[in-house]
Amino acid sequence: MKKNFKETSKTGARVWLFQRISAIILFVLLILHFVTYHFINKGIIKYTDIMEKMKSPWFNLIQFIFLLTAVYHGFNGIWMMVEDYVHPKLMRIVLFGIIVIIAFCLLFIGMLTIFKVSNL
Amino acid sequence: MAKQKIKLKILRYTPEKQKKPYWSTYQLEVDQDSTVLDVLNEIHWNIDGSLSYRRSCRSAICGSCALKVNGQNILACETPIHKFKGKKLKIEPLPGFPIIKDLVVDMDNFFEKLRQIKPFLILKKPLPDKEFTQSPEQFSEIRESILCILCGACTSSCPSLWSNKDYLGPASLLKAYRFIFDSRDDGAMERIDMINDRNGIWRCHTIFNCMEACPKNINITEYISKLKVKIVENSI
Repeated sequence: MKKNFKETSKTGARVWLFQRISAIILFVLLILHFVTYHFINKGIIKYTDIMEKMKSPWFNLIQFIFLLTAVYHGFNGIWMMVEDYVHPKLMRIVLFGIIVIIAFCLLFIGMLTIFKVSNL
Repeated sequence: MAKQKIKLKILRYTPEKQKKPYWSTYQLEVDQDSTVLDVLNEIHWNIDGSLSYRRSCRSAICGSCALKVNGQNILACETPIHKFKGKKLKIEPLPGFPIIKDLVVDMDNFFEKLRQIKPFLILKKPLPDKEFTQSPEQFSEIRESILCILCGACTSSCPSLWSNKDYLGPASLLKAYRFIFDSRDDGAMERIDMINDRNGIWRCHTIFNCMEACPKNINITEYISKLKVKIVENSI
């Protein structure tokens, strides 16, 4: 019997799992980010305080993981929405391209910030 | 018995005659504790014979009379009109399905999708000498899911299905759960292979509309989530 719904890729299980894993990582890192950036400081947060923190390589590693998971989680979600609502194949390919390009641009800008600051 | 005046707005549509569905309004006096189906019968028998709707058992077991009333998917036969606040009822056919006439929708696609997941016991081990036994614990795992009457209220309430008609839908996934988690069934792998598809189970985004729409109060979303976990466990 032919399949009624279109047969697409079998990657659904992996994507679903990664979305959950990245959500948990994001949750933990977000709390870490807030605590270290906003709550540990005494008094008003100053630019120099943050700069001081960002010199540590561990800090930058966490920042980098945070950036990576945030971009993956966010753009994976957007791609899921596109799959929900956009059906023409060509349109999907175009949108997929746009999503990947934007994701890599954001990743690049984020990395640039992290590396630039850490070199200061 | 106390009578009550109510106002009805029913979505009417005959595809051969009209281009678009339109609303018909009716005003009638009915018993206070009559159901939505009683009201529809009253209209069909005494006011407007051209109104079409499905009905059969009028005891919430055949699943024919699922409708959308005031934005909720319900079974017309088991829902009393006093459940809806105010004296106005807005009756529409199930959303997400093509309309055949008035409140009658085309369920072919729904049942075709159900057939895809093979809704019957698949046996590979030799038959037991006597009856098939199942422990109470094994049965309790599927107890709720076998209550499904295939009315289509859940599938039609699913926003994922509205946007993508190829999506399998909660009713078929619930049926898949019912057999995959049945201790007597041997066809789990075939079924998992069938539903493990971007347009299969992974189109479900845990919206919970199906659970809310189900007239049998089956927690469909939970069972779909259990299926997801099982598929992930299997594919790792």
